[in-house]
Amino acid sequence: MNEKKTKRREWVKTAAIVFLTVLLLLTFFSQTIMNYSLPEVAAQYVQSGTITAKIRGTGMIESGDPYNVMVKETRKVSSVAVRVGDEVQKGDVLLYLAEEDSAELEAAKQALEAAREAYDVALLSADISAGVIQEAQSNISTTTYRQQITAAQNEVDAAQKKVDEWQKQYDAIALQISITPSNNADVTEETKTYNAAKAVKEKADFALKEAENKLSAIESQLAYEISVSSGDAVIAGLTAQKKEAEKAVLSSKTAANNADLALSKAQTALENKKASGDTSGTIQNLQNQQNIVKLNLDAAQKELNQKTANLTDLTGKINKVLNLDNLYKAIVDAQEEVTKLEEKSLGGTVTADIAGTVTAVNAAAGKEISALDPVVILQPEGQGYTMKFSVTNEQAKRLAVGDRADLINSWRYDDVEVTLASIKPDKNEPGQKKELTFNVTGNIIAGQSLSVSVGQKSANYDLIVPNSAIREDNNGKFVLTVESKSSPLGNRYIATRVDVEVLASDDTQSAISGGLYGYEFIITTSTKPVEAGKQVRLAD
Amino acid sequence: MKKLEFSRKKIILCVSAVLSFIIFILLLVTAKRMGSSQEAQQMAERWSDTGRVAQISCFFSPKAGVTEESIEDFEHTLDRVLVEASITIESENPGARLWADAYSADGKIFLSSDKTTLSLDAIGIGGDFFLFHPLKLVSGSYFSGNDLMQDYCVIDEETAWQLFGSNDVAGMTVFIGGRPHIVTGVVERPKGRLEEAAGLDSSVVYVSYQTLTEYGQSNGLNHYEIVMPNPVSDFARQKVQENFSVDEKEVEIIENSSRYSLLSSLKVLAQFGTRSMNGKAIIYPYWENIARGYEDMIAVVTLFMLLFILYPVVLLLIVFIKWWRHKGWTLRDVWLRAKDRFERFIERKRMERRKKKKSGKDPEEGEWLEWL
Repeated sequence: MNEKKTKRREWVKTAAIVFLTVLLLLTFFSQTIMNYSLPEVAAQYVQSGTITAKIRGTGMIESGDPYNVMVKETRKVSSVAVRVGDEVQKGDVLLYLAEEDSAELEAAKQALEAAREAYDVALLSADISAGVIQEAQSNISTTTYRQQITAAQNEVDAAQKKVDEWQKQYDAIALQISITPSNNADVTEETKTYNAAKAVKEKADFALKEAENKLSAIESQLAYEISVSSGDAVIAGLTAQKKEAEKAVLSSKTAANNADLALSKAQTALENKKASGDTSGTIQNLQNQQNIVKLNLDAAQKELNQKTANLTDLTGKINKVLNLDNLYKAIVDAQEEVTKLEEKSLGGTVTADIAGTVTAVNAAAGKEISALDPVVILQPEGQGYTMKFSVTNEQAKRLAVGDRADLINSWRYDDVEVTLASIKPDKNEPGQKKELTFNVTGNIIAGQSLSVSVGQKSANYDLIVPNSAIREDNNGKFVLTVESKSSPLGNRYIATRVDVEVLASDDTQSAISGGLYGYEFIITTSTKPVEAGKQVRLAD
Repeated sequence: MKKLEFSRKKIILCVSAVLSFIIFILLLVTAKRMGSSQEAQQMAERWSDTGRVAQISCFFSPKAGVTEESIEDFEHTLDRVLVEASITIESENPGARLWADAYSADGKIFLSSDKTTLSLDAIGIGGDFFLFHPLKLVSGSYFSGNDLMQDYCVIDEETAWQLFGSNDVAGMTVFIGGRPHIVTGVVERPKGRLEEAAGLDSSVVYVSYQTLTEYGQSNGLNHYEIVMPNPVSDFARQKVQENFSVDEKEVEIIENSSRYSLLSSLKVLAQFGTRSMNGKAIIYPYWENIARGYEDMIAVVTLFMLLFILYPVVLLLIVFIKWWRHKGWTLRDVWLRAKDRFERFIERKRMERRKKKKSGKDPEEGEWLEWL
């Protein structure tokens, strides 16, 4: 039992010693241990100094007032005598040209040949008369031709007018003939009388025939009665009847003769009347007149045809003369062109018109140079260069015309001065960007790319911190300062928040305003996120 | 007093429950630490300690056609939306902002110094990118898309070493597309299994979006993020979704601030099997890949957390039920005792009042007792 108690007491003792040792160790090394759990920060003092916000940009050097050396003809280059960057004096040879005619002269000569051929071909064609050739060479003015044509035209017009007049007369007579009737007498009354007479005659003839038939019937009756020896009374009655019938026949015959007479009279009257309206003579007369007019018309038409043919001949002839004339002139022109080109031919070289520096050579040996493009571009002696690049509106606000720009890799250049010459809206993005143009002088050539920085004058500020010291949350921008608090176990460092306003910034530093005195230690970087009010560990 | 006696079985159960609870606590702390280690996801906490802000990320497919102009439009719309919601700046600091945003595009770029030329993966940034992504600076500082000049770059240690042979190169000039650019800072490239798989297996250079588009090969603007007021939950995410005129199929919008919460982890667990399916042509930047990796890991930790808390809770429940069944009293006993005490208290007060009334003191005090 005792042994057990002793064991337990020892165990308690050991535990107490271990506990106390651990407690002691932790107390002594608490700071060190805690330090390892704290974020390690790098800090530096707030400084005073200058801030210069610089705008940087890169642009291509261009010649300010380039001189383009042009040639007047297309020639083949045999060799190039200069390189970009070479300085040349006036009259120095820039290019050597091949010993051959220029393409333009060749073309002019060919054109001359072609014009001559065309003229010869025209001369040999069948319808060209000697007169035409003579006239073409006599160089008659177009006014003369115009007068001739006008005269011929006037003749044609006059002939046409005559034709038209005769035609008009002819047509008028034809119309007259067409409207003249063959008989113009009024035979209505006569015809009526004739028809009435004819009816009377027919009636009379019928009555005569009837009377004769009656007589004949009575005579037959009488003959029969006589043959059978009828009573006398009958025969006497019949004889009386016969007499009466013979009387009637006689009277009918008279009536018929009278009617016949009246009919023939009416017929005569009708025929007389008809004969009185006959117009064939008039028509014949008109036709005779028409025939005379027709003869005149035909004559006029013939004259018109003649005049028209004359006009056509005249214009044809003039065309031929003019065509020939043109061909002849083409020969003369082509000849002149050849002469002109021969006169201004370059010869064997292209030389510099002014003294300057070669900024571009657009020619190579063996290749052709044309009159359209400059073969060599010279930077005239004493003239400056320009350089352009675009910046945002915000950046442009910080610049002013006349600002001097620094070269970014200045060690590469010697004596180069860059000055801001103009600030204009960028043509590509007029609302958003501005184009800066710089004047560049010094030892430099066009085509080089130059990076410059330009900025407003430096401003002095009392509180300047590195950009990495500026932090931000929804309460705005702030910096964390390190405040030192001494404790029995050494100094403790506390991060304290100070709200600031950023006044200006450049690439590395920012000027701030806020509740700072100017000697605070500002946290720039840390190994872990740092919270305001929490302890931090300073880097060695 | 009855001496407490525990059987061996009870002791084992008790110890295991305590252990299980401790493991739960440890897992809880681990999950919390894992979440907070993702600084790119903690912008809301850095921006405001009130908890009323949210960080929203948008990831776009190349077809989304998002440009700097469309982002500018969105920013103007956002200002209007905040005014309509009567959200104004309360800080007295004149430079304070209600929201901050950033966007980026990935691509390739050639970086050259006097020594060498490197072809590197590049991220073209706009807005306050480094406010959202506070990479560990070895030297120098970050730059912002709002800076006056945009010819800056931030490189990592490896690139700095290859270009200059030193890490302290802030302020040095490198050439991108023949144009001089200033190295403002050198950062440490995050290393680790997840980081390398996420796209940080080679050096990355951070340049301005303008530099990437003008002098590099840009794959198009594919990411936008914003930290903004979130007066009620999901306000910020909804406003971003409503006001970004991009087809829903071409964008993925994530609320970073709450992605490692317990609820989000449970959602990730619920998406088991479907989470790896992708119907959108969106390539995540490395920080989102890492964040998603952590989401998966935290989900697994959460699963174990739930299992380890379940064991002690069930055990406690069993003990409680057992105790309840074997208790020597009923609820009626408790009720009667309480009633009895209350009545006694009333009686006592009444007696006191009578005594005071007799002595003629303080008549008002007795009124409410009378009422009782």
